Amino acid sequence: MNNVQEADTLLAVDIGSINTRANLFDVVDGRYRMLATGRASSTTGPPLFDVGEGVHVALEKLQTVTGRHLLDESEELIMPVSNEGTGVDVVVATTTAGPKVRTVLVGLMPGVSLQSVRRLAASTYLEVVTEIGLMDQLREEERIDRILAARPDLILIAGGTDGGASYSILQLVESIGIATSLLRKSKPTRIVFAGNRYLGASVIERFSEQLQVILTPNIRPSLFQEDLAPARTSIAKVIAEVRADHISGFDELERWSNGFIMPAADASGRIVRYLSELYGPDKGVLGIDLGASQTTIAVAFNGTLRVAVNSELGMGASLRGILKHGNIAKIMRWLPVDVSEYRVLDYICNKSLHPHTLPTEMDELHIEYALARQVIHTALSFARQDWPVGKNFQTTLLAPLLEPIIASGGVLGRTPHPGYAALIILDAVQPTGISTLVIDPNNLTPALGVAAGRMPVLPVQVLDSGGYASLGTVVAPVGRAKFGRRILRINLERGGAGQDIIGEINMGQLVVLPLAQGERGRLTLRPEKGIDVGFGGPGRAGALRVAGGAIGLIIDARGRPIVLPKDAERRREMHQKWLRDIGAPG
Amino acid sequence: MADYYLPPVTHVIPLTSIRRERVLPVPGTVTVRVNEKVNAAQVVAEAEPVSKHYFLDLARGLGVRENQVSKYLARHEGDRLDEGEVLAGPVGLTRRTVRAPADGRIIAISRGRLLFEARGALLELRAGFPGVVVATDGVNTVSIQTTGTLIQGVWGNGRQDYGVMRIVGESPADRFKTDQIDVNLRGAVLVAGICDDPKPLHQATELAVRGVIVGGLSSSLIPVVQRLPYPVVVLEGFGVRPINPITYSLLNSNVGREVALEAEPARPYERRRPEIIIPHSESRDMSRPDEVIQLTTGLRVRVLRSPYEGEIGTVTLILDRPSVYPSGVSAFSAKVELEGIGAVAVPVANLEILQ
Repeated sequence: MNNVQEADTLLAVDIGSINTRANLFDVVDGRYRMLATGRASSTTGPPLFDVGEGVHVALEKLQTVTGRHLLDESEELIMPVSNEGTGVDVVVATTTAGPKVRTVLVGLMPGVSLQSVRRLAASTYLEVVTEIGLMDQLREEERIDRILAARPDLILIAGGTDGGASYSILQLVESIGIATSLLRKSKPTRIVFAGNRYLGASVIERFSEQLQVILTPNIRPSLFQEDLAPARTSIAKVIAEVRADHISGFDELERWSNGFIMPAADASGRIVRYLSELYGPDKGVLGIDLGASQTTIAVAFNGTLRVAVNSELGMGASLRGILKHGNIAKIMRWLPVDVSEYRVLDYICNKSLHPHTLPTEMDELHIEYALARQVIHTALSFARQDWPVGKNFQTTLLAPLLEPIIASGGVLGRTPHPGYAALIILDAVQPTGISTLVIDPNNLTPALGVAAGRMPVLPVQVLDSGGYASLGTVVAPVGRAKFGRRILRINLERGGAGQDIIGEINMGQLVVLPLAQGERGRLTLRPEKGIDVGFGGPGRAGALRVAGGAIGLIIDARGRPIVLPKDAERRREMHQKWLRDIGAPG
Repeated sequence: MADYYLPPVTHVIPLTSIRRERVLPVPGTVTVRVNEKVNAAQVVAEAEPVSKHYFLDLARGLGVRENQVSKYLARHEGDRLDEGEVLAGPVGLTRRTVRAPADGRIIAISRGRLLFEARGALLELRAGFPGVVVATDGVNTVSIQTTGTLIQGVWGNGRQDYGVMRIVGESPADRFKTDQIDVNLRGAVLVAGICDDPKPLHQATELAVRGVIVGGLSSSLIPVVQRLPYPVVVLEGFGVRPINPITYSLLNSNVGREVALEAEPARPYERRRPEIIIPHSESRDMSRPDEVIQLTTGLRVRVLRSPYEGEIGTVTLILDRPSVYPSGVSAFSAKVELEGIGAVAVPVANLEILQ
């Protein structure tokens, strides 16, 4: 039924905590295209706690838009495509919805297995409740009490290179075995062992038969090697089980998708890594998913992927988490309008109570976008701690070269004007050099990531087919110069699209040059001495082909990092000016 | 299909059948039977949560070899002991013994070591409101049913209590002030309009009130409210949010009655909500309120966002095309006839059904 060779039509279902999307892909003129999207409110939470209703409504909307029958009279998905052209051939599904999996991390050494297991946990939808390690100086009974107090859904154990340490890890496993035998929970605790692979049998022996122990290849097979992918797959299964304990309806989706619903962060990571291999080693590829319940930052440098899921930072139920990571002033600094701190605090709390609501007033829209900036900025700061040397915060304050930057999530995907989304990304990420800003309004990235496993050609073709909205190319010069001083000369040759543009850019300016979606131009950049635009060092000039977008060509010469005026009135005026510069209503 | 929406539902019902589950966080013992009548303060289930474990090295404590320990054991696995009772020994002339470090039980004895589980304070689960036990699993869950008024809120500080309800202030928009509270309100559940000052909350603590119900709470007071010893239920939201007229009128008509406050905090993926239950001595069989209601014309709704935040009205039309709002946001909307304002378009996402 799901023969990939014969499959032409793909349905990708993505279930978020607020929105459920059904995207239909089919072959048009010999290439895969996204045909349409059906979107509905998710029904994963109260009162239904059943994904099925949201999925069916999204499918029915998709049917209305496309005129293609996908469901039969009994509301069953038609598979495969019939002779009349109804139904679909392949279904893939991703999700970010569901409660977080309470997790205890266990490892041996802080800088080795514990670090890897932390990185693994941070890359998916786990809530780390506590950690246990060889160096934690806890007595055995204290470790047991710590596990019991955590009431974990999952205990994730790593430690020992393959053939390496065994006594220490088995000692820790012994304590965990006792603790799990004492756990009094109505739902079972799952054990994932991703340590020294020679210890698998001994580990299983130490747990009671009722307990589910999953053995997965070592995440740290040698001291200098880390491989998180197999363990991530095992954890995805545990997440699916815990999710099914709380929310029904996933079984139908699993049946359609041939058994597996992939966590959206894993699926998006695949696409980010693929793009990084495609774009080459000079720059990284950044994916930002600003969700209601979490913010996911996926970055890949030359094929090396880092994914960070931050469940304390989101634009919905977890919005209050932003207050844990900084004071209200950090949010207020992004506001172009005069509203009180109390109002912003109340806004945060009310939005977390009603995450699905929309801002209909201008002031509220600006509060929402100020929060979006700070949430992304904070999530990125955490994620960058784990980026490779030379790209991380420990080695450089400024963002490394990134291209493209792909942003998704309800807030970014549905801005009334693309300029809002562009400014949110520019302010939050503060990219350097030359980059491209891309919005994924229909959350296609996870769908393409999971589809890649079954229809490898589909993502490649869809990425080029217009399912994504390019905001435009950004040039962000880096270097010190006085405000208002010339730092860059530009020449944009627009070919047949319009007159060439020659001009000068001064420090502090945000300039948009016309270059519409689908247009291409040749851009020559001549930076002043000490100013770097990404051509290999300060003062170095160069030319490149640039693509247009919904905004055009953006020259962001506001400096890196952006220094905002301390005076609130001046700061708001500055934000208003930048909104005008980018063409968005203030 | 374009007009198929399932907005959240908030219940404000004068008389309905209310059934609530009480669940112990750990397995324990249910102390009531099905069909048993319970009062609000009655313990319906209890458990002994574990507070601490001890690994006791018996061989070392007794000064004997590991293989000799079993000979001196005074108690066995599973035995319950009080603090100081002998676990093993005596040994030798000095009569060395190992004693229980706390009240608790022996979990395991192996290789000369004993794992001891200290008992924590008894965890008691109360009924919360008077009613009848309609189901139990005998381990940690009890379902209680009553007939009465049900008013749901949006946020709570995690506490639960029961008391006679009194209204302070003159209107649903009045601010909660210290001069509204006097000794006559000792032990009562207070209803106030808006709370943006911690002083009356602290004064209420001194008067040992059983709870506070407010329309709007200043979000800056959340940390204060979370530390209060009594339940606080927020009905409308954070900020200057008066109690809506329908709820206020219902509360007003129940002044002097005993009310149960379930100040559940709002948590995603959990079924429980903060709510006020006012039991009535009603013998008629009432149906339970609908939890899932499709948005249709004629339904009463509350607006969740500015500019009509908190206003109540009736849906007159579900628009088949998205409406564009002053923020530029385009959204599927409904026409709502708001009381005292008139007909306005509101995004469906910004509505909740008030049943």
